[in-house]
Amino acid sequence: MTAGSNPGLAAGPAVGSAGVPAIEFESVSFAYPEGTLVLREVSLRIEPGESVAIVGQNGSGKSTLVRHLNGLLRPSSGRVLLDGRDTRPLHVARLAGVVGLAFQNPDRQLFAGRVSAEVAFGPRNLGIRGSELEGRVRAALEEVGLADDSATNPYDLGYSRRKLLALASVLAMQTPILILDEPTTGQDARGVARVREIVARVAGGGRTVIAISHDMRFVAESFRRVVVMREGRVVLDGPPGVVFGEASWPELRAANLEPPLPAVVGARLGLRATPTDATLVAALVAVRPGGEPDDPKRPAPSLGS
Amino acid sequence: MAVSAEPGLLPEYVRRMPDGRYRGLNPVTRLALAAVAAIVAFGVRDWTGPVVVLGGVVLSGATAGVLRKMALFGLATIPLVASILLVNTFFYPNAHDIIARLGPLSPTWTGATAALQATLRVVAFGLSAALFALTTPMDDLLVELERRGLGRRGAFVVGSALGAIPRMAERAREVTDAQRARGLDTEGGPWRRFKGLVPLVGPVVLGALGEVEERTMALEARAFTAPGRPTLLRRLPDSNWQRAARWTLLTGSMGLAGASIAGLVRLP
Repeated sequence: MTAGSNPGLAAGPAVGSAGVPAIEFESVSFAYPEGTLVLREVSLRIEPGESVAIVGQNGSGKSTLVRHLNGLLRPSSGRVLLDGRDTRPLHVARLAGVVGLAFQNPDRQLFAGRVSAEVAFGPRNLGIRGSELEGRVRAALEEVGLADDSATNPYDLGYSRRKLLALASVLAMQTPILILDEPTTGQDARGVARVREIVARVAGGGRTVIAISHDMRFVAESFRRVVVMREGRVVLDGPPGVVFGEASWPELRAANLEPPLPAVVGARLGLRATPTDATLVAALVAVRPGGEPDDPKRPAPSLGS
Repeated sequence: MAVSAEPGLLPEYVRRMPDGRYRGLNPVTRLALAAVAAIVAFGVRDWTGPVVVLGGVVLSGATAGVLRKMALFGLATIPLVASILLVNTFFYPNAHDIIARLGPLSPTWTGATAALQATLRVVAFGLSAALFALTTPMDDLLVELERRGLGRRGAFVVGSALGAIPRMAERAREVTDAQRARGLDTEGGPWRRFKGLVPLVGPVVLGALGEVEERTMALEARAFTAPGRPTLLRRLPDSNWQRAARWTLLTGSMGLAGASIAGLVRLP
């Protein structure tokens, strides 16, 4: 996988070398200067093209963990490797070409007078100019549904659209690794669906997507792997069907998390691995007398939020 | 009106009173002590003022258990102290008692003495402010000031002004992180850093303005402007001797500083 014409790790290999994980945390611990230990010996390996959701209660270390990927934080001990290369000697500005991080609060980053200028900021910092820059800005705005607002002042947009703008500004950087911090906060159903589509498209294109979220339905439906953190440690790691399965509920609840509704309904009905509406409906259809749905072309019904 | 602290009715953080010789003092007493330290450090000429303040502040800091943190605060005075020492030692006007000739520069004993005195004053004042900040929860100070008639609006203005500094610092840190994550190089040369100011300053200022609006509405929604005196949950210990000490120290220090400046009192 490459990052367009991003400088990325420059002299180093492009993220996505054969057989090398895109991201590897090797026994990473992190403590703030006043001594608060936030990460404890975290080891995690994420392959190129994986879509991974990191969940956990507030203060469990999720945001701290992902800030290690672009060098905003450095491990107190252990190593963070991108494509097998230690990130310690690399500056944040250089890592930004490899790891795009959309922060939770859009108002902490928006500054430009026009939406298009805001989106161009990141790629421009990566050295992108001219028609390629324009193309990236246009594509990112279309992707989040803000193409008609390119001349608007970002602060004239509502919160949910400012959040999509912040996402577009990172999408335009076309980094091999994309990190989204609480991307669905403040989004209505259409906004959540749009974020879900973006995650699917980016991961489908072979790039690695990581999201931090408290929205378990979004997590179950959008990601192929879920990592649960509690008190600075990884306590669960697997596909949504396993992590949200009944056997994991005690650990989930210890992390102040609730499994998504389809997983609960499925478990009550004695069905396994039903973390999403679609998997639950499929399981119900499979066990129903007759075996096949009345009309196979009819879309699976949604349970709603 | 303040209510009495009844166990079981109020949460622990409201009922818990500060203890210890220094921390147990009323916040207003500590504020008065900080003011006295500033008056004496800068108002009393020669060595006595700053040396006495420095000694008192260090002793109080040790009593309150914050001496190490105070030292960290003290590091913030290094740039100012360095410039005071350099400018006074090397460029003190009309001083001719040269210590040594260092090329074009001629440090003087008079300049060095003045530099040392000024340094002592700055450090004494800085540590005194640090001691006050480290040992006085802002909420406690505001409750006490409000109880003494500052008024809700006044307390809010003081609290907002003092609280704005750490909030702005936190906001600036987050904004910097967000822009660095988008490739903004804040580690390069001076021109790069200067160019990086707009993306940093914009969200900090706009965010702060937005926060003011939100806070105003949140205050209105919680009956901030309702008529009548608010109920203060917390009453911190005070005493007649502290009241007397506050007035005595404040008037005494002002008198001493005035006499020293006028040359009526000469101390070593």
